Amino acid sequence: MTATGHQDDITVIDVDVDRLDAVAAPGLKTRLQAQMEGSPRKILLNLDRVAFMDSTGLGVLVSLIKMLGKDGAIAVTGAQPAVRRLFELTRLDTVFRMTDGMEEAEAALRG
Amino acid sequence: MADTFFSCAAGLEEVQTLAAHLRDRCAALKLADDAVIDLELAMVEAANNIVLHGYAGHEGTLSMAVRCADNTITVELRDHGVPMPAEMLWGDRPFSLDAESGRGIAIMQSCVDDIVYRQEGGINVLTLAKRLRSAPAT
Repeated sequence: MTATGHQDDITVIDVDVDRLDAVAAPGLKTRLQAQMEGSPRKILLNLDRVAFMDSTGLGVLVSLIKMLGKDGAIAVTGAQPAVRRLFELTRLDTVFRMTDGMEEAEAALRG
Repeated sequence: MADTFFSCAAGLEEVQTLAAHLRDRCAALKLADDAVIDLELAMVEAANNIVLHGYAGHEGTLSMAVRCADNTITVELRDHGVPMPAEMLWGDRPFSLDAESGRGIAIMQSCVDDIVYRQEGGINVLTLAKRLRSAPAT
């Protein structure tokens, strides 16, 4: 469901589901909780394989912010139109750093 | 184009099937992508609420009818679960920036123009209506 890697001080998470919804969200949250133990507090979240996300999936991403604490940061890249729409209408695009590519996301986290 | 109707067991995985049927219907009507996104988001949030709160783990059925008339797409969901307090749909519900849940109804309100909830002989009927900017294919 997810693949996690590290680039220096950034943890890269590739979410590997077509739909991040009420079916997939609980499993993703469990994996993230396990994978984030001791990982860098800056997250590059690649959603380019996620065609659809509902409020349950979004809730897991909010929980990820909380896991990171106040010193953490998340940049999102690869958001497809339905996913970006959800971020925008819930105003969570003001909380997550929405970017248009891996390089831009890395720069946003290191800037 | 005739109404479409689909019925399934009330489960979260079946909501994915309902969404696929809705997308197929929207494709047949050649709806704009942004309208399809909003309709799917609203329907999925409504159906999730029915499964998680209306049926709350109990078995049941969930049916969906999709209609198109007067430049408006109407998605009607019917279930036999616990009735929803109608006042939950009243008024604007602001989006929390830090809550992990509780956004479903606000998303529905943002994605469609009208939401109507009623009961018919013990059946819950939730109607989501979205007006289109241009006429759909017929």
